[in-house]
Amino acid sequence: MITITDLHKRFRKTEAVAGLSLQVPEGQVTAFLGPNGAGKSTTIKCLLNLHRPDSGSVSILGTDSRKLGPAQFTQIGYVSENMELPLWMTVKQFLDYCRPLYPNWDAEFEKQLLTQFDLPLTTKLKDLSRGMRMKAALLSSLAYRPKLVVLDEPFSGLDPLVRDEFIRGLLELTEQEGWTVFVSSHDIEEVQRLADRVAIINRGQLALDETSDSLQSRFRAVEVVLPDQARAPVNLPTDWLHAEQAGRTLRFTASRYTNDGSFVAALQTALPNATHPEIRPMSLREIFVALARAYRLEGK
Amino acid sequence: MLPFSIQLQDGSPVSDQILLAVRKALLTGQMKAGDTFPSVRALSQELKISPTTAHKVVLQLKDAGWLNSRPGIGMVVTVPDQPHLAERLAQITPECRALLKEAADLNLTLNQVIAHLKSL
Repeated sequence: MITITDLHKRFRKTEAVAGLSLQVPEGQVTAFLGPNGAGKSTTIKCLLNLHRPDSGSVSILGTDSRKLGPAQFTQIGYVSENMELPLWMTVKQFLDYCRPLYPNWDAEFEKQLLTQFDLPLTTKLKDLSRGMRMKAALLSSLAYRPKLVVLDEPFSGLDPLVRDEFIRGLLELTEQEGWTVFVSSHDIEEVQRLADRVAIINRGQLALDETSDSLQSRFRAVEVVLPDQARAPVNLPTDWLHAEQAGRTLRFTASRYTNDGSFVAALQTALPNATHPEIRPMSLREIFVALARAYRLEGK
Repeated sequence: MLPFSIQLQDGSPVSDQILLAVRKALLTGQMKAGDTFPSVRALSQELKISPTTAHKVVLQLKDAGWLNSRPGIGMVVTVPDQPHLAERLAQITPECRALLKEAADLNLTLNQVIAHLKSL
């Protein structure tokens, strides 16, 4: 659906995107995560031809992003936290303005979303709350049933109720063949259950690209009890992250766990005196935090 | 609204949690054979989960014989043919033995264990 190859984009002295390559497959929700300033928005703007890449290329719906035209834009829905909307228009005027731009606009679906989002037709966009305005933007991007929905930090600053409505609205499209979502966020919490795939960008480069299932099957939080006065050895396996000891308890994150017994064997070898091992699966949020810590350590 | 009770929690996979909740609802009679089951879209919207996960759950329930697709209605709850009681009990015998041993180690009586099981 989207193929990014060795993308570079520099603003004066800052290299916002530094050789990013990423594939976004069709029919899945891909979460594009990274700390603020990692290059998420710049990448998304390059996708949609809102920025011109310095080098590298982006193909979206099979077309080079620099050649995107009406035929592609009627298949792409885009909502960004700081997108420019015609604030002087009322909700009704705004929808009247958008409708003719899309031959595939579904008027029935528009009505349904209007009721669902509880949007006041006669209020000007500038007088709407931030949440309401985001819902209006989402409505105008979903009503033509796009194949690809690109969301740039859609949830930041939304209260939980509006966020809930926003996600429900987005999921209205799920019955569509090959429906694909690419959503950026600095906060995994917002997307952890929605994401089939997680791509993490750090300092303008891809740090990780993996399915949620695979991440959740290879990461484990591990705790063992060491004998009195024992210190954990310094050179533990390198795929054991953030080992910390408090009293007799040693805690770490295993990043290459498999349940074929090889992890238990490695535990035996590295810590022969350890007892009471507790190995528990981790949520995507916990995994993200562990990874973010690891990247920060690498950067130092 | 979903016809079964569920509070998603961090830690275990979402699909496992849903399967467990559905099974529990069938055991307690909260859901019965013949009830309509939520669509993939309803599941994903209610739980804010990926449609792919919701779809996977429905397929798993179907494979396990808990759901049947009826044209025009959608998914309907069915109760699979049960193997003989003795066979089903045999399946959980090892866990029961381990539980009884653990209970004995902790000095718990059988009645206390039964009361606790019921409270779960």
